[in-house]
Amino acid sequence: MNGLRIEVKGLRKAFRQTVSGAFVMAIEHLDFVIEPGEIAAVVGTTGCGKSTLFDVMIGLDAPTSGQLLIDGSEPYADFDGFRGKIATVFQQDRLLPWRSALDNVCLPLELAGVPEAAQRRRASEWLERLGLAKFMQAYPHELSGGMRQRVAIARAFVLQPAILLADESFGHLDEVTAAELRDTFVALARECGSTAVLITHQLEEAIAVGDRVLVFAKPACVLADIRVADWPRERHAELRAAIQSTLQANRRDPRLQPSAAAVGSAVSV
Amino acid sequence: MLPEVGTAGGVSLFGRRLPREALVSVLVLGVLWELASRNAATLGIPPIAIPGFARIVQSLGSLTVIDVVVTVARVLGALVLSFVLAVLCAISMYQSPRIERYAYPLVRLLMAVPVISWILFAVLWFRQVEFRIGFVLVAVCGPLFLVDMLASMKGVSKELRDMIRSFRPTTVQFFGKLMLPAILPSVLTSWKINLSLAIRVVTIAELVGAVTGIGHQLSVAQELFSVADVFAWTFILVVVLFVLEAGLNQIEARLLRWRP
Repeated sequence: MNGLRIEVKGLRKAFRQTVSGAFVMAIEHLDFVIEPGEIAAVVGTTGCGKSTLFDVMIGLDAPTSGQLLIDGSEPYADFDGFRGKIATVFQQDRLLPWRSALDNVCLPLELAGVPEAAQRRRASEWLERLGLAKFMQAYPHELSGGMRQRVAIARAFVLQPAILLADESFGHLDEVTAAELRDTFVALARECGSTAVLITHQLEEAIAVGDRVLVFAKPACVLADIRVADWPRERHAELRAAIQSTLQANRRDPRLQPSAAAVGSAVSV
Repeated sequence: MLPEVGTAGGVSLFGRRLPREALVSVLVLGVLWELASRNAATLGIPPIAIPGFARIVQSLGSLTVIDVVVTVARVLGALVLSFVLAVLCAISMYQSPRIERYAYPLVRLLMAVPVISWILFAVLWFRQVEFRIGFVLVAVCGPLFLVDMLASMKGVSKELRDMIRSFRPTTVQFFGKLMLPAILPSVLTSWKINLSLAIRVVTIAELVGAVTGIGHQLSVAQELFSVADVFAWTFILVVVLFVLEAGLNQIEARLLRWRP
């Protein structure tokens, strides 16, 4: 399945606090477009609304105002219309502990109504591709953290979805495993032609995998939208430092708007 | 069922290993009982009140199997019906907070009604014996199943619920693939609790409202002043409970084999 276009227009999301009843703004105002097949990395400080955006993209949460459109439709409003088109890799693997690795990968196919024989064939293929051929019948507790996340990646890719979302999916793993899984994820996303959004708090990861890096202020609005191809590899350290100083400036003074917060000409909105 | 001699200082009985200490306690109690039975007259107790083991075994030989079968069938039938109703109600209440707000106080109200009141209501309201017993068992066990299941459903982690929702399941898929398997451990515990409760409740219900079953036979034994028969039927009830629990343990071991 080819990737779909993601268009975010004036998106705002506020939450009412349970105890005080006060509203908290998680997403201030988001405007951006991710083209089909593009891989976008979203970075920002903790609590800047990245994961809220993730929930709105999946369709689990409705925006307070504005729109998030995938191929012209809202994932929340047209929830069932996106069955089989969106897949996610979460921060934790979120495997069902009572299912084997193979059965966990079969899950999205079962929900999509794929015949059982095809489910098992496709799930087996993806587990083999991710180096888990010998662990298909293993339960999640019998696998290491890295292996469980591989199963979660296989579960996302088995649908060959148009939209792939990853929410800090590799941050809890050791550096070597994280880098390896990240590269696998990106290679597979490109091969499938999916539009991918990778939410992360690690700048190096964002620059390494993204065609674009969207830098979020807190509460979420786009501080900077960087096309990584414009930055030669030898200048990545400079880019990383510029994004970092942008985020620091925003943390010191959240009222700073994108144009003021963007440091020099290093990043641009 | 004869106990199988264990290898590590105990015996295996109904699929469970009993420690040596438990055996010793039971044996000591048995010896004391037999001594009390043989010396009842000396102790100033009517001998009929403490029958010896020989007399109880004699009673066991005269028991009618059909009454055991009828009682077990009533218990299992009512538990299955209670469980199915509780699953449907728990799903409705989980899906709709409004339904929960209306229904939950009623469920708590039902749970507060004493068993004996349910039995009296059943006798007064219904003519058909099986319906009376079924009604009492469902009224007592159904709310327990429901409350346990609803609490367990609410305890299923948001992470897993969000994960499966991200794949856009139908309502049937959501419950079939996630919620019911996730609450299975607590459902099985609930079954064990309700099983022992149902065995006790069915006996009382049969005592006052039936002409078959172990409860009815206990009533007959009481009318004949046959303490040995009461003991024999009580022993059978305990054995039935242990056998059913052993069956549940086997099912649990099979269904929850994924647990580390």
